Amino acid sequence: MSNKKKLWRIFGPVLVAFGLLALVFLLPFSLTNYSQKSLQESSVSFSNQLVKGEAVKNAAFADKKVNYVPFFGSSELSRIDSLHPSVLAEKYHRNYQPFMLGKAGSDSLVHFLNMQEMQGTLKTKKAVYVVSPQWFTKTGSDAGFDLFYSPLQVVDWLLNLDQNKPRATDQFVASQVLQRSVVKNNAYYNRLLTKVEKGEQLSETNLSTLRLKHRILSRQDALFSRFEKTSNYQNRVLPAAKSLPTTYSKNVLDRIGYDEGKKGTSNNPFHIKNSFYTTRVMAEKKALKGAQKDYDYTQSVEYAYFQSVLDNFAKNHTDVMFVITPVNQRWAKYTGLNNTMYQQSVQKIKYQLQSQGFNNIADLSQDGGEDYFMQDTIHVGWRGWLALDQYLNPFLSSAKTETNYQINNRFLSKDWQNLKPSQQSVESFQ
Amino acid sequence: MPNLQPYADPNYFVYLLLALVPLAVGLYFGKRFVTYEILVSLAFIFLIFDEGHYVNQGVALIIYSIWQFCLAWGYITYRKKYNNGLVFYGTVALSILPIILVRLSGAGIFHTQLSLLGFLGISYLTFRSTGMIIEARDGAVKNFHPVMFLRFMLFMPTLSSGPIDRYSRFAKDAAVAPERSHYIDMLGNATKKLFLGFVYKFILSYYFGQMVYPYFQSMAMSDAHHGMILSWWLIPVAYSYGMYLFFDFAGYSLFALAISYVMGIESPINFNKPYGSKNIKEFWNRWHMSLSFWFRDFVFMRFVFLMLKKKWIKNRNTVSTIAYFVNMLVMGLWHGLTWYYVLYGLMHASGMALNDAWIRFKRKHKGLVPHNKFTEGFAVVLTFHFVLLTFLVFCGFLDTFWFHR
Repeated sequence: MSNKKKLWRIFGPVLVAFGLLALVFLLPFSLTNYSQKSLQESSVSFSNQLVKGEAVKNAAFADKKVNYVPFFGSSELSRIDSLHPSVLAEKYHRNYQPFMLGKAGSDSLVHFLNMQEMQGTLKTKKAVYVVSPQWFTKTGSDAGFDLFYSPLQVVDWLLNLDQNKPRATDQFVASQVLQRSVVKNNAYYNRLLTKVEKGEQLSETNLSTLRLKHRILSRQDALFSRFEKTSNYQNRVLPAAKSLPTTYSKNVLDRIGYDEGKKGTSNNPFHIKNSFYTTRVMAEKKALKGAQKDYDYTQSVEYAYFQSVLDNFAKNHTDVMFVITPVNQRWAKYTGLNNTMYQQSVQKIKYQLQSQGFNNIADLSQDGGEDYFMQDTIHVGWRGWLALDQYLNPFLSSAKTETNYQINNRFLSKDWQNLKPSQQSVESFQ
Repeated sequence: MPNLQPYADPNYFVYLLLALVPLAVGLYFGKRFVTYEILVSLAFIFLIFDEGHYVNQGVALIIYSIWQFCLAWGYITYRKKYNNGLVFYGTVALSILPIILVRLSGAGIFHTQLSLLGFLGISYLTFRSTGMIIEARDGAVKNFHPVMFLRFMLFMPTLSSGPIDRYSRFAKDAAVAPERSHYIDMLGNATKKLFLGFVYKFILSYYFGQMVYPYFQSMAMSDAHHGMILSWWLIPVAYSYGMYLFFDFAGYSLFALAISYVMGIESPINFNKPYGSKNIKEFWNRWHMSLSFWFRDFVFMRFVFLMLKKKWIKNRNTVSTIAYFVNMLVMGLWHGLTWYYVLYGLMHASGMALNDAWIRFKRKHKGLVPHNKFTEGFAVVLTFHFVLLTFLVFCGFLDTFWFHR
């Protein structure tokens, strides 16, 4: 055999393999055909794959039969019980169905990137954004960043830039994600994001490579995002809905929440769900006494992450409701979490919202002491979900209203991140 | 600057193979571009150590290389005229001093100071340089070539985790360009290894290491939290770790070999279907082969010869049993100074001694033990499970399970 022939025998199959791969990635046939059932399951799967990819999100929010509404949040979303928003929407045939995006670790920086893959949805649909003051630790709580990050988010984001030119928010977010090793160590994204960080316009070449990347990555996403199988809707939402009375009555449901909460939290004095208490608290109970007395949520880079999300909502004129969550007061007393500090952080968050025209706020932060309002240490459950429904149902069942947001980029600054509400009134911040 | 850990993700291969194209074209036409080869090696080593906590490691690598350079140079120059055993042992001791200090730091002794000496790949570089000194003593390496020494020490494809090459073998390959037809065969081999490596490392190792193994660990830990001394979950922990370790390490080794071949260097192979071994000695001829052969030649054999030559112990069986323990203990300690690495070494040494005893027993009582397909199959299954048990010890999970609940 000649040398040339030998070389073909070696590299020919490699070329064919890459050719086939290119076909799968570049040919224009659709791979995204999701059944109603799998969308339903995705809506309560709380999977990080949903945050990473765009195929399932796009399919759900474009669905003609069910009006899926994005719920952005973190660990609280997965506390399914009889009065969970997904259960109530299912049972009482609401004209919306929550689509949960996020689980433990998904903070505002994660959601900023998550949203880049669904900008069209944010223009047409209402949205719910659940803010946990626990995110607002000194250095931010994005230990989960890698879990939720995907290059597709960045590609979408860069393709979304107005006139291909980064704004202050984009510059800020670029500077932040460039500190994460998953982003920094990829030479391509490193180079493009450094450009964005400096506020430089993207070139035509940049855009055409981004479009090619988008093709490949979204195809990859469509191929692999269907591999996740969960059955929360079937096994938890539907049975819970079945047990509820046929007609909606706040008082009757409140009673049900009270009884279920009482029954479900019988093994501890903190009103924490039994299973959570035995698996997560009991072993470390002693160590946790007074452990949170130095926690401080009032100064944090997270305020700027949060601002980037607000800016993105404003850019898309999204009609959005914000939910501010409480902590379990009985537990907070035990761990020494400072309630004054907690309320100050809530005030700071609310000022940031209201001063920019975000006025739909469900502030539950004062209610963590009510009986069976919380399901465990920091997550609402039973009566808490029902209280939240009093905000959500009127908001989501009504038509979309015109928004009027005035974005103030000063909320991205270190001044705002480090402003201490105990020393300086938040209202004085301009 | 981006930071690129060797073979960590598919992009790495794109960058590396592109950088190697000129070298490969040169080799195809019978030319070896030594300067270019050195530059690519250095560039990719630089990208491993260019930031964060890796910078310290890069500095440590430079200091380490200078240290080994001086030792090899000094000893080879000395050896041309003299051959004193004490000088040899002293040089070997100095050569392994850095890794001993790093292992001590790993055990918590002067941790902050000594850990500064460590870097990714130190244990593998130690084999290269210490092996070279031993080869010099034996006369296999006669002259010190500074450039060739550095090419050998800092050969990038196998820097971080082997396979372990010998200087005399490496220098033969690296001095010339291979014959064209032979180089084409190497490229074919490299392509095959690369793609098999992708299956091993990016699919199977990911599946076992990131999905299955952590799941079983967490199930076992929940038993640990309930105060149990043993858990049935430790069994799947052992299986999944065994699978993960093989596919991860074998996949990595395939990458390292493929890249070596592209660079025209035939580094030795590391794995040959180890889980099909019929006994523990055969296992070590098929598992992490470049390491076990290194230990066989430079620890086991030397120890046995020394014992027999000096007539300290007469009985050959006793000598080899002791040598097994010395050999495997050193290998265990090389991984780190923990109870589980020591126990791992002891288990394997016992297994080998037992295996020898069993063979002697069979020889004495010919016809007593049948030999057929069934017994061979049984031997494979038994060996595999013994190895899994030692890996359960080796992986360190038992340490977490029992002592860090």
